[in-house]
Amino acid sequence: MNNVRSLLAVSLLAAGSLAWAALPVTGARAGAKPILIAAICCAVFGLARLAAAGSRVRTASDAKGLPADSLFLSTPDRLWQQASSALFAVPWPQLLIVAVLGLEALHPRRPWHTAVLGVVLLGYLVALQVAESGARLAVFGVQLPLIAAGIALAGLSVAAAALPASASGSGSGWLAVLAGVAAIVAVGLALPV
Amino acid sequence: MKTLAQSNVGLTAGPRRELPITWQLSGHARRLATLAIAGLFFAVITRRAEFAGLAAPALLLLIGFRADRPSAIGAELITSAKQMTEGEDGAVLLRLTGIDADQAHVRLHPAPWITGGESELGDDGWHRLPFVPQRWGIRPVGTVEVTMSDRWRLTESRLTMSVPSVTCRPQPAVLDSLVVLHKLPARLGEHTSRRPGEGIEFAGVRDFVPGDRQRRINWPATTRRGTLQLNVFTAERAQSVVILMDVSTDVGEPGRSSADLAVRAAAGTAMRYLAARDRVGLISFGSQLQWVAPATGRRQADRIMNLIMTTWTTGHPLDMVSALPHTALPPGALIIVFSPLLRLRLVEALRALRERGFAVIVVDVLLAQPRGRAGAGRYRVVAELARRIWRMEQEAIRFSLREIGIPVVAWDGQAPLDEPLAPYTRRPVVNG
Repeated sequence: MNNVRSLLAVSLLAAGSLAWAALPVTGARAGAKPILIAAICCAVFGLARLAAAGSRVRTASDAKGLPADSLFLSTPDRLWQQASSALFAVPWPQLLIVAVLGLEALHPRRPWHTAVLGVVLLGYLVALQVAESGARLAVFGVQLPLIAAGIALAGLSVAAAALPASASGSGSGWLAVLAGVAAIVAVGLALPV
Repeated sequence: MKTLAQSNVGLTAGPRRELPITWQLSGHARRLATLAIAGLFFAVITRRAEFAGLAAPALLLLIGFRADRPSAIGAELITSAKQMTEGEDGAVLLRLTGIDADQAHVRLHPAPWITGGESELGDDGWHRLPFVPQRWGIRPVGTVEVTMSDRWRLTESRLTMSVPSVTCRPQPAVLDSLVVLHKLPARLGEHTSRRPGEGIEFAGVRDFVPGDRQRRINWPATTRRGTLQLNVFTAERAQSVVILMDVSTDVGEPGRSSADLAVRAAAGTAMRYLAARDRVGLISFGSQLQWVAPATGRRQADRIMNLIMTTWTTGHPLDMVSALPHTALPPGALIIVFSPLLRLRLVEALRALRERGFAVIVVDVLLAQPRGRAGAGRYRVVAELARRIWRMEQEAIRFSLREIGIPVVAWDGQAPLDEPLAPYTRRPVVNG
């Protein structure tokens, strides 16, 4: 039952991050649609891999046959096994993250929207880890201060991005990015871990 | 939650081993790093500071990578029992030291014919991994996989340990009633014989003769007849039972094959007759011939079970089955055969034993039927014809045995053995 719930949570967060980054589709620049399709594929394959990992464990537990049975597989079974191995090998969640961020970058500037996307993606990663490891959510309690600090920094970056640029040159954007990175490093060094 | 003391009383812990572990970046850490790097990348490319902010939580969470991790852990691994029976609940017990319990995830990868369950962590720190062996034999239980992670879930380590094999005894077939011989040997036992003796079963009354015990005088009968009458009881005797277990051919679905059924039936029958204080012996008719001479008692039960569990590669030639020594096959013994009757050598030996006066009962354990591919045309007809010929041969073998006084009954492996043996447990079987 826990597996089903965590799988559901992962599905909802993946779908939510995808929808949040993709909408509105009409407002995005060229290239958004192929990236959206790729992101949907990544999400679907990632969920399939997660579900298959659970069912593999159950199948192994229920196995009654002789070990030699696996040596004499039919061609369709062998192909299916190879396909599922390939499915397991690709890091679908990482590809989904990159695709979702790419989608967000193709949209016009909307700082608060990007910050919310960051929080949803973080939730997706935590839910994915819970679903994969079978750990209780409580084990992530120790990370709450860091997550809170990170979200505060994201809020600061949103505020910085919302401020009107003092100069119209290209250097102001660079400076904002550098300031953001510097703030992250400073907080990271200051936190007692 | 069960503790070790509650679930496995009297266990002694196995030796504690120190196992070195190597830590690797976890999938969670890789995904966080992807989010952080991708966020910074898009921040630089698009010159939008909010992407750097998006990367902030992931980057901060990756700081935990600096945390200290143990380079070795202690592990104690034991099984709840070395000897088990098919379908009996067992458990693998694992205690890890040097790492917090919530940082280790333990899972049993069961071997074939073993069913595993979810791990439970007891209050005493032992992980309990339940398992059930589904088929008799010396069975490897499987491997225990321990997945450890640091408290930030950024690094993980996997450890695989083999669980020692367990000896799984066959589930004895249920047998409540007994097949008893008509003529019982003069050996004290629990079966009521037709001869008068010192038992407790009332047989009748007779005239008193000097020397008889006065406490056995039947006073009502004495009053009626006017002369002293004495109660007569039947003698109680034990019989010799030899079980012939045919495992020379093993056909059928694994787990319900002819050898599986023969072994379970032999185990159940031997235990039942030993409980009735009969002398029980076992002849294993496999690739070689092996036997345990009839005897009584608990040690004999162990000897029989050991022979059942032995791999059938050593022993005497199969031709010896009709010329076994008297110690293995005492005169007047009841022979109960569990066989699919596919080896003609055994059928011939059974005929020879019957001719020598032994009471023989055959329990047919053949469930499988020949199955061929549903071919087309001529081949299909030929295959069907071959199957019919095979069935007729089998029926002929059984008919020929019945003709010479060897009853053949079929057992499906599910019902108690009392059902097929019912016609022979109600009245004594004639021997001699």
